Amino acid sequence: MSAHSHLDGELPHEPERATLEGRNKVLGFWLFLGGETVLFGTLFSIFLALRDQVGDGNPTGQELFKLGTVAIATFILLTSSLTSVFAIQAMHRNHVKAMQGWLIITVILGLGFLGLEIYEFYEYIHEGHRFSTSAFSSSFYTLVGFHGAHVLFGIVWISLLIFQVARKGLNVVTAPKVYVAGMYWHFIDVVWVFIFTVVYLMGKVG
Amino acid sequence: MAHAHPVKRYTGLMDWLTTVDHKKIGILYLIAGGFFFLIGGFEALLIRIQLWKPLNNFVSADTYNELLTMHGTTMIFLAAMPIIFALMNAIVPLQIGARDVAFPFVNALGFWTFLFGGLLLNVSWIAGAVPDAGWTSYLPLADPTYSPGKGVDFYVLGLQIAGIGTLVGGINFLVTIINMRAPGMSFMRMPMFTWSAFITSALILFAFPALTVGLVALMFDRLFSANFFNVSGGGNTVLWEHIFWIFGHPEVYILILPAFGIISEVISTFSRKRLFGYSSMVFATVLIGFLGFMVWAHHMFTVGLGPVANALFSIATMLIAVPTGIKIFNWIFTMWGGSIRFTAANLFAVGFVPTFVMGGVTGVMLAAAPADFQYHDSYFVVAHFHYVIVGGLVLGLFSGLHYWWPKIFGRMLSEGLGKLTFWTFYIGFHLTFFVQHFLGLLGMPRRVYTYLDGLGFNSMNLISTIGAFLMGIGTIIFIINIIVTAAKPKTASNDPWEDGRTLEWSIPSPAPEYNFLQTPLVRGYDALWKEKMDGNTGMSPAEPIGPIHMPSGSILPFIMSFGLFVAGFGFMYANNEWTGFVKEIFASHAVAGLGLGITLTCMIIRSLKDDHGFHIEPEELTKKEVKE
Amino acid sequence: MAANHSSHSEQPAKRHKHEGPRKHVVAYIFSLLLTLVAFATVIGGEINTSFIYILLLVMAALQVVIQMGFWMHMKDRGHLFPIVGIMTGVFVVFTIVIMAEYWTWW
Repeated sequence: MSAHSHLDGELPHEPERATLEGRNKVLGFWLFLGGETVLFGTLFSIFLALRDQVGDGNPTGQELFKLGTVAIATFILLTSSLTSVFAIQAMHRNHVKAMQGWLIITVILGLGFLGLEIYEFYEYIHEGHRFSTSAFSSSFYTLVGFHGAHVLFGIVWISLLIFQVARKGLNVVTAPKVYVAGMYWHFIDVVWVFIFTVVYLMGKVG
Repeated sequence: MAHAHPVKRYTGLMDWLTTVDHKKIGILYLIAGGFFFLIGGFEALLIRIQLWKPLNNFVSADTYNELLTMHGTTMIFLAAMPIIFALMNAIVPLQIGARDVAFPFVNALGFWTFLFGGLLLNVSWIAGAVPDAGWTSYLPLADPTYSPGKGVDFYVLGLQIAGIGTLVGGINFLVTIINMRAPGMSFMRMPMFTWSAFITSALILFAFPALTVGLVALMFDRLFSANFFNVSGGGNTVLWEHIFWIFGHPEVYILILPAFGIISEVISTFSRKRLFGYSSMVFATVLIGFLGFMVWAHHMFTVGLGPVANALFSIATMLIAVPTGIKIFNWIFTMWGGSIRFTAANLFAVGFVPTFVMGGVTGVMLAAAPADFQYHDSYFVVAHFHYVIVGGLVLGLFSGLHYWWPKIFGRMLSEGLGKLTFWTFYIGFHLTFFVQHFLGLLGMPRRVYTYLDGLGFNSMNLISTIGAFLMGIGTIIFIINIIVTAAKPKTASNDPWEDGRTLEWSIPSPAPEYNFLQTPLVRGYDALWKEKMDGNTGMSPAEPIGPIHMPSGSILPFIMSFGLFVAGFGFMYANNEWTGFVKEIFASHAVAGLGLGITLTCMIIRSLKDDHGFHIEPEELTKKEVKE
Repeated sequence: MAANHSSHSEQPAKRHKHEGPRKHVVAYIFSLLLTLVAFATVIGGEINTSFIYILLLVMAALQVVIQMGFWMHMKDRGHLFPIVGIMTGVFVVFTIVIMAEYWTWW
């Protein structure tokens, strides 16, 4: 196939779609995200069904949630979405160094988000909001934790890609990988938008 | 080509462990699915022996619960779905004129995760802790209080791992069908089996994540004391039923749609006629898939969701009879006026039609919510779903296997033995399940290990048991047929049925590893038939003969799935009654971590190591073609 | 669709101008504003609860349009199957959410 003829030459426009393998990867990942939509949708549904089941004497969402932390986390993740867009733009211009730079910033922002989340969970546990406290707490930690695990996976993945591009350069094999990782990162951000809306803000309203 | 990579080829067992060839993976699916089919069938026979007379004590009540749980779970997830995947792998790329699937590596991964998940589930027999909460694993029965052993954990983790395999397999087929069709093979020229594989894969993609979440929640409840379904902690048991059936109902269509596809191909071929109403057939398939997501609560009419919900789901369920009816009529009209040949494959296909209609009719009866209060949890339901799954899917699979056997293995199955399989299996099937309708209407409850004398159940249960053994004999005849056939030379021609209509019959049997020497140019629906009618001997090529790029094999899918298997054990036995060192490494989650570590390491290796594959050069290709 | 095989790679590269960062910075600021409005309504409080819910969901939906439409290029040509895939997922999620809201407790 055409994969090899492009390997050494000039990078084509939209390198992620230059080969059939690349197009397959992008489409397959889109469909995977469709499945992930159902996965998170089901988690959200469970949370919605159980969010009032706090139990006697346990802290409610209204008492627990600190919107300041959530706002900072949101700001960090939204910004990382923008930096990952810049990374893909740099990739389309074949600016490898710039792309790696933006990806590194994305990873650092992701780590910051994760740190905030761990700190937040730690606080909650101290206030008596443990995983097995109530149906509300179980569904809360599972939903937000699943998202956190996705962020962690994304951080590891993008870090590996930075390393890989440094070794192999940008070509029609590595470009689709970077593009797909960028899609994944945006999707994580979309999920977070619903988490801060449905879990935190609506939880605060009651 | 300038890039001549050294060809690393495995042979023997290693070839099968490392293969990424969709045709070989199809055979692996068939062997594994067939193996689990025999296990599930054996469990069914034990159930029927227990029920052949009132107050029998062939097995204990506990064992009976385990048998019925494992029979259902094994047959649905480990037998039916893999054999569907076997046919999809073996045939779909050939039908669309593709050299390969979109993700050969992921395809292999899907097979091995399914296999290890299935093995994990069945290891429960050896571990002496068998799931016994039914294949639906309803709460609170399946919660730690009422199912304290490891049994349900085996169910949860086994299905979780097998489910990953199914999900990635589904994505692979969606992308294959969307992106890899040969020139001219538009969507509305795709054979019906490919269409049904497409819709089934879409249903897998959108239904399985719901099961994943449900199983995760159940696992957290059981292993980490979460409260999703624990009523005293504020949980809700009906939530499990909802999630299970939001997955479970599409799952039913995941099973039956490929059978519809197979029947369409077989009936059309052996009637020597174009499939009647092709576009309405496509439309009906899509509509069934779509409606499949909106009817789950018809499994829950007696829960008490209220008249509005019950009425809505009742109507939605009855609506599905419309597209299904379209299909039934289309098959009948395809046969109408055709020159029909009753080969073994076609016998199964023709036998399918009335049997499936019966299953559909009882389905509509069950869809009437008020009536369902009478049928619920009785043998009427058992009869209904066996009519659609065995009388529908299994007959369809038998038909497909007889039809495509020469394309998969290069040898024709014996027609005589095939017909014998059909008659024993078909008569046995109706004997077993037809009487169960009446047992249900008389009030015999399902899932109970025995019944009292004098209720009028005795003779019908005896008939049912005799029928089950006849089905067993039919299956054994099929296995004998396979063994006898395997001993014969590979003599099947490209188009052994002589009336082949679709692309897979334009290439040698079995298909060479690159499928198509030259990508074919498709000029219409029933691509090969069109060429035949125009007086051509085969497909016209869309490209000159050139080097063909192939992906290289890899052991990583196998190891990756093995890692998940180890992790499953690790999580399950973190809480154990052993002593000493073994207790410690499990209790500290070291085993679980090790398993996940193996899987993650394989993923990283896969990402970092480029697979350049290899090329088969034109000289090599033409030499092969001449030889075959 | 089968013609897709070749159409992508043969596009003349010169014709296409790379888009600048300005559009994305504007989208970013817009999404920050949406977030700000959402948080402000909740902190400001004292409005009808169901009104706030609707407002919050509208804000979230607009954010999705920015992320998926602009940043994941869903609005661009050749994204038919991604749109079908995501929309089917969303449809299934709708049914599951209705289940959770109406048919779990009564």
